Amino acid sequence: MSKSNTLLHGALDALILRTLAWEPRHGYAIARWLEAETSQALRIEEGSLYPALYRLEERGWVEAEWGVSELGRQAKFYRLTPEGREQLVKRTEEWETFAAAVSRVLLGPPRPAGALG
Amino acid sequence: VSGPGPGGRAATALGRGKDRLRRILGVGVQEEVESELGFHLQMRIRDLEAAGMSPAAAREQATSEFGDYQAIEAECMNIAKRRNRSVRRAEWLAELRQDVRFGFRQLARSPGFALLTVLMLALGIGASTAIFSIVNGVLLRPLPFPQPDRLVAVYQVDVEGTQGQFSHPNFVDLKERSGSFAALAEYASSFVPVLVGETAVRVPVARVSSDFFPALGVRAAVGRTFLPEEFGTGEPVVVVSDAFWRQHLAASRDLAAMTVRVGDQPLTVVGVLPPGIRFPGSAELWGPQGRTADETRTGHNWQVVGRLRAGVSPQAASRELREIGRALKARYGDDTMMMGAAAVPLHEVIVGGVRPMLLVLVGGAGVLLLITCANVVNLLLSRTAARQRELAVRRALGAGRARLVRQFVGESLVLTLAGGVMGAALAFVGMRALLALEPGRLPRVGEVRVDTAALLFALGVSVVAAAAIGLIVALRASDGSVWGALAEESRGSSGGAASHRMRSALAVGQVALTLVLLVGAGLLTRSFVRLMAVDPGYRTTDAVVMDVVIPWATSEEEKARSMRLHGELLARLAEIPGVTAAGSVNILPLGNEGTGSSGSFVRVDRSETVRDFDELTRLMREPGRAGDAVYRVASGGYFPAMGIPLVRGRLFDDRDTPQTPHAAVISRSLAEREWPGQDPVGKWIQYGGMDGDLRPFVIVGVVGDVREKSLDAEPEPAFYANVRQRPAGVFGPQNIILQGGDPQAVSAVARGIVREVNPGVPVRFRTLEGVFSASLSERRFSLLLMGVFAVTALVLAVTGIYGIISYLVAQRTREIGIRLALGAPVGAVRGMVLRSGVLLAAAGVALGLVSALAATRLLSGLLFGIGTRDPLTFVAVPLLLLGVAALASYVPARRTTRVDPIIVMRAE
Repeated sequence: MSKSNTLLHGALDALILRTLAWEPRHGYAIARWLEAETSQALRIEEGSLYPALYRLEERGWVEAEWGVSELGRQAKFYRLTPEGREQLVKRTEEWETFAAAVSRVLLGPPRPAGALG
Repeated sequence: VSGPGPGGRAATALGRGKDRLRRILGVGVQEEVESELGFHLQMRIRDLEAAGMSPAAAREQATSEFGDYQAIEAECMNIAKRRNRSVRRAEWLAELRQDVRFGFRQLARSPGFALLTVLMLALGIGASTAIFSIVNGVLLRPLPFPQPDRLVAVYQVDVEGTQGQFSHPNFVDLKERSGSFAALAEYASSFVPVLVGETAVRVPVARVSSDFFPALGVRAAVGRTFLPEEFGTGEPVVVVSDAFWRQHLAASRDLAAMTVRVGDQPLTVVGVLPPGIRFPGSAELWGPQGRTADETRTGHNWQVVGRLRAGVSPQAASRELREIGRALKARYGDDTMMMGAAAVPLHEVIVGGVRPMLLVLVGGAGVLLLITCANVVNLLLSRTAARQRELAVRRALGAGRARLVRQFVGESLVLTLAGGVMGAALAFVGMRALLALEPGRLPRVGEVRVDTAALLFALGVSVVAAAAIGLIVALRASDGSVWGALAEESRGSSGGAASHRMRSALAVGQVALTLVLLVGAGLLTRSFVRLMAVDPGYRTTDAVVMDVVIPWATSEEEKARSMRLHGELLARLAEIPGVTAAGSVNILPLGNEGTGSSGSFVRVDRSETVRDFDELTRLMREPGRAGDAVYRVASGGYFPAMGIPLVRGRLFDDRDTPQTPHAAVISRSLAEREWPGQDPVGKWIQYGGMDGDLRPFVIVGVVGDVREKSLDAEPEPAFYANVRQRPAGVFGPQNIILQGGDPQAVSAVARGIVREVNPGVPVRFRTLEGVFSASLSERRFSLLLMGVFAVTALVLAVTGIYGIISYLVAQRTREIGIRLALGAPVGAVRGMVLRSGVLLAAAGVALGLVSALAATRLLSGLLFGIGTRDPLTFVAVPLLLLGVAALASYVPARRTTRVDPIIVMRAE
């Protein structure tokens, strides 16, 4: 995933927030959940999840705490903050608008080029 | 995949604390990132292995899915570090806010203490801020010209190495030959009468050459400066200062419509300079240099200012000037007195004279500030002693030492900032008072103000003082074990030995610093007293000085008119009831107006006539012929009006008319130097170089010596020409001295007379005593300030000693009680207390004497008649300090006698 690709960047942030919407998870769990939910359609390098998580934490949208994983190992759990929850709502709305617009263009009937002139 | 279980939650609570600790310590970021990423990879490998992969293949797959591990780790660490920093900052600020609030609460509990401390700090900070403002305005801030470090004053250097004014031909040659300057200009300052409405005022004016404004880098704010064709022709144009423009010309931009009446001549205003430009001195008007063709190489009428070329240092310029001066001397020989020339930074020329005084005052204010801080530390420590139990409890409850230190710093910050605010206000008021005490001798005084720099200075001083005070107090207060403090408290002896040692050390330091200030003030006082005992050579009392400006004259008719004006004024002023003598002189002793003129004369025989200046120059070269003196032009009444005694012969009188031989009066030291063992009366001299008049003088009388330049400089040999015979000396500023009568009444009558005789003559009245006193203003100023600093320091030091001894007595009440009960005489117990106070002071005095011996060297330039190690001062000041310390300890010592042994011993 390229850093300059802000569209996907934003999408990844939104997906992570969504992943944490019900319960706190550690990074590995987020990666597995994303993989399962997107049916592997979103091919991202799993490592890039972590800078994204750190950035979200820096902005105060998620909180991190060290805890014990299901297998009894030390793991860092991320939890959505109220601010993060608001962001999730906002991002989802933005995505809806965006996706609808792109869909309209891509899936709508083609117009002759001359019509623009 | 599921979230953390109940056990996990408990662990997170602990983990959160650990996170915070890590953040505060600023370590473990790398470990944190490594273990998080490592956990991910291990989990993935485990899952893949569980799905049936071989360990090697699983590792391969997990790593490739993950991406560039190194880059990701680095990015995460950067973000984490950044986050930690901002979190730490936020936490620090929040805690500081808490500490400051805590400080406020603490102080609110003892408002009297807080007020006392704040007042003391305000005094220390205020004094140093006021002095800083003055030093900043006068010494530190660059001159108000572009690239001011390239401006230099250029002096002609004579055979004795004295730096003086230039003669015009020498200036022209120098300018032509020198390559060091981007611009080089000459100027001469004087006063002119300017008619404003109905009244005439005296206005400082400068005649400047064409390069003057380019050299300074000054352009007119309104209009223009002079055009090349306006020089050398006597063109009636003038440039005015911003202040003059606003005050007298209503700040009108329509310059063409405005004229300034100088004497009888209307001058056209062509330009207004930007605000704050008043060079040279306090000039208000600038005129173009007139005709210079007739000027000689021996008439030193011009001062020179230059702008160095980029990259040329004043030293390099001086080296070049010295060479040029030598070459000119070789070419013109005895026609010029110039042996060389020197360039001195203009800033140095303007402020160099007051630097030693101001630096001494800075030192004094700094020492006072230190003493104040020491006193505040002492006060805080004594209060901390009382709070020992509270502190111990807080530490037992887990408050870290660092946190306690911060609380003390917070508390002292509240105190010093309050002190700083009050101090800045005090500085604002105090500086005005200070400058009011300093009647105009301080250069650049108009540029002095309490500005942002001064306020920043006050703030900086407050913060540094807060940090220093808070740290010292905190380190003392949080020292020692918790249990020790709790136990000590229960025994009723608060403070502890370490704290007491600290306070004693502070008191010793205070006494030492106070001694330094007192010695400084003592030396200045002794100098002043010595100086006041010096005879200036004239009577400073009971005379009014009336400053007039006689219009400059060019035509014979104008000259005659000005002479008549001067004569009529003197005659009528002498008749004012109460006035016993009236006389005039062109330059008043100790008047600080211009350097005055001096020059060379030649002894001649009565029959000898000097036809022209070539012949005069030839005579000067003959060995044993020439001499030099301070040259003054006076009327016969000048000497009785000033109380200058006649030693031999007679003064100028009615026998001396323009037609009779020109009479001269000389000072005793000139007579003794030039005619040792002979009667100078009846001797002839030729002094034509001063005013271009080659008629010889005959000496008719000898008068006492007068200190002309300053009271602390030996009198220079002086020569007086008769104003009735030498009209050249009458034009321009004249000082008329009126002896006797009530100054107010005499001034009022005199003003009326001038108005009747010629309303175009500006007058200003001073008393001779005022002029004399003003010549000492710089000394009085530094003496007064040092005195105030020293007395304040003394009061603070005494409070310090008093506080410690009272505390000591309070602490040893039980011991004292026992001693008294066992039959110790009251006197012995008192002596014991007294001794500890005097011992403290003695230690301080010893330390202070050593410091003072080193510090007073700074004063050497300001002393008169005594050395920097004046024995009287160095004996009297320590005695005074010891005496005052004994007194301060005596009060608490007396209290011991009121101790009732029985009550004391039952008390515990």
